[in-house]
Amino acid sequence: MSITKQTVAILGAGGSMGSAIAKSIAGGNYRLLLFDSDPKQLGELSQQIRDKHPEADTHFMSCPHETSWEADIIILAVPHEVEKELTDKIRDVATQKVVISIANPVDEDFEKLTTRPDTSAAEELQEWLPHSKVIKAFNTTFAADFEQPVIDGKQTDAFIAGDDEEALIIVSELVETAGFNPIIAGDLTVSGTLERMQLLLIQLTIKNNYKWHAGWKILH
Amino acid sequence: MYEQLKKSLQEHVTLSDKEWELCKHSFRPKRMLKRQFLLQEGDVCRELAFVEKGALYSYSLDMSGNKRVIRFAFEGWWMANLQSFFTGKPTRLNIEVLEDSELLILDRKNHEMLLEQVPPYERYHRIIVQNAYVALQRRVENALGLTAEEKYERLIAESPAFLNRVPQHLIASYIGVSPETLSRVRGSYNR
Ligand SMILES: NC(=O)c1ccc[n+]([C@@H]2O[C@H](COP(=O)([O-])OP(=O)(O)OC[C@H]3O[C@@H](n4cnc5c(N)ncnc54)[C@H](OP(=O)(O)O)[C@@H]3O)[C@@H](O)[C@H]2O)c1
Repeated sequence: MSITKQTVAILGAGGSMGSAIAKSIAGGNYRLLLFDSDPKQLGELSQQIRDKHPEADTHFMSCPHETSWEADIIILAVPHEVEKELTDKIRDVATQKVVISIANPVDEDFEKLTTRPDTSAAEELQEWLPHSKVIKAFNTTFAADFEQPVIDGKQTDAFIAGDDEEALIIVSELVETAGFNPIIAGDLTVSGTLERMQLLLIQLTIKNNYKWHAGWKILH
Repeated sequence: MYEQLKKSLQEHVTLSDKEWELCKHSFRPKRMLKRQFLLQEGDVCRELAFVEKGALYSYSLDMSGNKRVIRFAFEGWWMANLQSFFTGKPTRLNIEVLEDSELLILDRKNHEMLLEQVPPYERYHRIIVQNAYVALQRRVENALGLTAEEKYERLIAESPAFLNRVPQHLIASYIGVSPETLSRVRGSYNR
C-alpha cells in the first residue's frame, strides 16, 4: 500500500453500490470525491461516513469533470447504459487513469445480458475511454455484501479483471480495503464471464430468496 | 491542458503530429490542491510530473520535523525524485503542492515506451536531465561555502520572478539559512 494518499472518485455515489463502496473504503488511505447527479442522495451518506470514520477525507463534488480530474481512480457506479454519456463528460481527464467498471448489464427481467455475447460492459467502457485503464471489479458482490463481506463464516471473494498490471494491484488493494478477498481473474476479456456469473447469482437470489446478501467463494 | 508541455517539447525538439498525440495520451492529467502530496517519504517515486499550472516543491524533513527544501517547480517545469525513480528505492523526499496545480503525470512504463517509440522524446528527456544535473551542481556549489548574503544574491540573480510566489520561510530553507537571517539579509540587500 502506498503512503501517499490516492484520490478515488465515485460517480453515482448516491446509488446503492456507490454509497456502499464509499462507506467501505472511507477508512482506508484514500481521499474520496463523491458525485451524484442528484446531490440530495448524498446527504445521508455524508452523515453515515462521518459516524463510522470521523477521520475520513471525503468531499462532495458538483461536477463529474472536476471530480475525475482530481482523481487517480474513477469508479462509475451508474447503470451501464448511463456510462456512455458520462464518459463523454470525463474522457479528457480520465486519460491513463484507473477506471473501474462495476456494471452488470442485465435486462429489466434479469433474464439476460444486454451486451453482445462477444463483448462485455467493461470492454465497451474501454472502447469509450480508449486511453484509460479499465478494470472490472466489484460487480460480483451485491451492495448489501459491503456491510457484511463475511458470509457463513467465509470472506467473500471479489473478482478483478484488466490488462494493466499496476492497475490490477491498485484495484486489489481497494477491494481488500472494502473487506473482500481480491482474486485477479485475468485480462479484460474475462469481464464477460464475471458479468454472467453475477447474472446467475441474481437469478438464484431471486429463486432461492438469498435476500440480496450472497456472494462467490472459491473453495480449495 | 497541454499547452505548457507542448511548448516545452517544442523548445527543444520537433515532433510529428502522430508523435505528439502519442505523448499527450501517455500523461495522466491531475488537478491538485495546495498542501496535497504528490509523493510522500517512504514511497518509491514511480512517476514524473510536469507542471502545466501552479507550483510544487520537494523537501526532506530533519529530525525535528523542519522542512529542508530541495527545489521548486513552476509551470513548464518537471518534478520528481529522480534518485528514487531511477534506483527504485523508497524516497526520503516529500513533494507537496505549493499552489493549486494542474499536473501531467507520466508513469515509468509510459516514459519508457516514449523513450523507445518517440526518438525526439528521448532527446528531449536527455536535455531535461542534463539541465537538471547542471542546476543541481550549481545548487551544491552555492550551498557550500557561500555566505548568507552571497547565497541570497545568487538566488535573486539566477532565479526568475517565480520566487515572489514562494513564502519566505521556504526560501530560507531552500538556501539553507534561518528565516531570521534571510530577513536580515533581505533588509540590507534592499537598502
Ligand atoms: N446493486 C447491486 O447489488 C449491484 C451489484 C453489482 C454491480 N452493480 C452495478 O452497479 C451499478 C449501479 O447500480 P445500483 O444498484 O447502485 O443502482 P442505483 O442504486 O439505482 O444507483 C444508480 C446511480 O446511477 C445514477 N444515475 C442513473 N441514471 C443516471 C443518469 N442518466 N445520469 C447520471 N447518473 C445516473 C443514479 O443517480 P441519481 O441519484 O441521480 O438517481 C445513482 O446514483 C450498475 O451498473 C449495476 O449493474 C449493482
